[in-house]
Amino acid sequence: MLGIEECLTEVMAIPGALDAIVIDQTSGMVVAAGGGSLNGDVEKSAAGISETLRATLDGLAMMSPTGAVRVSDMIISTDSGYHLLRSLETVFDGPLAIYVRLDLERSNLALARHRLQALSDRLVTT
Amino acid sequence: MPTVESILTGLAGDRATGALRLGKAGVLYLTGGRVTYAETPSCPRVEDLLTASGRVSAYAVRQARQAAGEERWGGDRLVDRGVLTRGELEFCVLGAVMDAVFFLLQLAGPRPRFRPGERHWLGPQWYFDATGLVRECKRRRVQLDQAWPSTDLDTLPVVPVARIPAQRVVLTSLQWEVLVGADCTATPADLARKLGRPAYSVLLAVRQLAAAGLLCTPEAAAGDAAQAQAAPAPRGDPPEKSPVPPRRGDSPDRAPVPDRRSGPPEGGPAPPRRGDTPEKSPVLPRRGDPPEGGPALPRRGGGQRTPDREPGGSPAAPFPAGLPAATADPGDVNLLIRLRNALEALA
Repeated sequence: MLGIEECLTEVMAIPGALDAIVIDQTSGMVVAAGGGSLNGDVEKSAAGISETLRATLDGLAMMSPTGAVRVSDMIISTDSGYHLLRSLETVFDGPLAIYVRLDLERSNLALARHRLQALSDRLVTT
Repeated sequence: MPTVESILTGLAGDRATGALRLGKAGVLYLTGGRVTYAETPSCPRVEDLLTASGRVSAYAVRQARQAAGEERWGGDRLVDRGVLTRGELEFCVLGAVMDAVFFLLQLAGPRPRFRPGERHWLGPQWYFDATGLVRECKRRRVQLDQAWPSTDLDTLPVVPVARIPAQRVVLTSLQWEVLVGADCTATPADLARKLGRPAYSVLLAVRQLAAAGLLCTPEAAAGDAAQAQAAPAPRGDPPEKSPVPPRRGDSPDRAPVPDRRSGPPEGGPAPPRRGDTPEKSPVLPRRGDPPEGGPALPRRGGGQRTPDREPGGSPAAPFPAGLPAATADPGDVNLLIRLRNALEALA
């Protein structure tokens, strides 16, 4: 049983985590943000992340044979690092997304993904 | 008159704790200058969001509310009971507060009254800076306008089109809920309460659906109405068509009078039609039209028999079910002149 702030702290404790944002998917609003290198506009990052997620969901829905799609997480690897994005549905409100940016050298993608999954299960119960 | 925004900024500067009551429009609760809760009758409250899902019983919420006090707030009691996680409660409060603030900040003339020390039973679960709230509300307004730049649908019943102008559509889960919940009478605010979803999310979904051409819009309905005189109207859309004018015309003392005046001398099919519309729901008269021998008749009558009266009807074609059809009627003009004279005599 986690609060949003504690969850964010734990996400930042994932090895190699550079910054993390909890986003309200519907509005693209920043719920909470952490990490030092978020220099500048967290809101812009959040808007970009939710747009990425939306476009992915739309695209996947279009190409999935059943037409329905449920993304649990998304991994984007770039030349400077990994972006890990986990989408979670909530019972009482709209969907949330937890985003974490990982260092290319210091992070372990499988571990990070596993930790994020465990954390989101403690944040919301389904 | 100070705006809600300026009052909020002032209270934030004073690090005030208490409740800012905006008449019947709603309440904002502050703790140490930061907003911790807000509610307004037009948006679902935290209680509504919690109980709508069925996960938390209304009884559990009531119990937590009654037991709440300074030593242990209601929200903490709910978390203690294990019915939801702290994160879920926080996110729920976040949704409800943003929702209420979004609507409260748009208010024009509330009579604000601040009661220091008054607290909400949930207790502080999430702290919002006044400036952050204002900025987020602006962002949300922009987002709404980007989805569909018209407020027309915001307060009208949500009416999905019977047939979509495409072969396939992709929906979000909330858009699906809105379409399933739409019963052609519920407005976006009603749907939010019914679905237990934040009013803003529902509003956004409604505008997205409208942009995708999946909802009946007033313009489309007006366009149909203009055609309706030539051809029978398609089913489904009449309730969308601005329900306000017909309602105004509803007052039984006003509507029938012009009809009787214009009716007998003119005869023809037009008067019964006008008489029908303000009294019944706009759906019925339209369905009744075609059997009457086709809607072409009234139009022909308009063109040939009484060119002095019917022209008044044709500019008002977008609202055949409402009052405007009678605006150029000599009877109405006389009534207006008498009204004006009476008012001048009073002044």
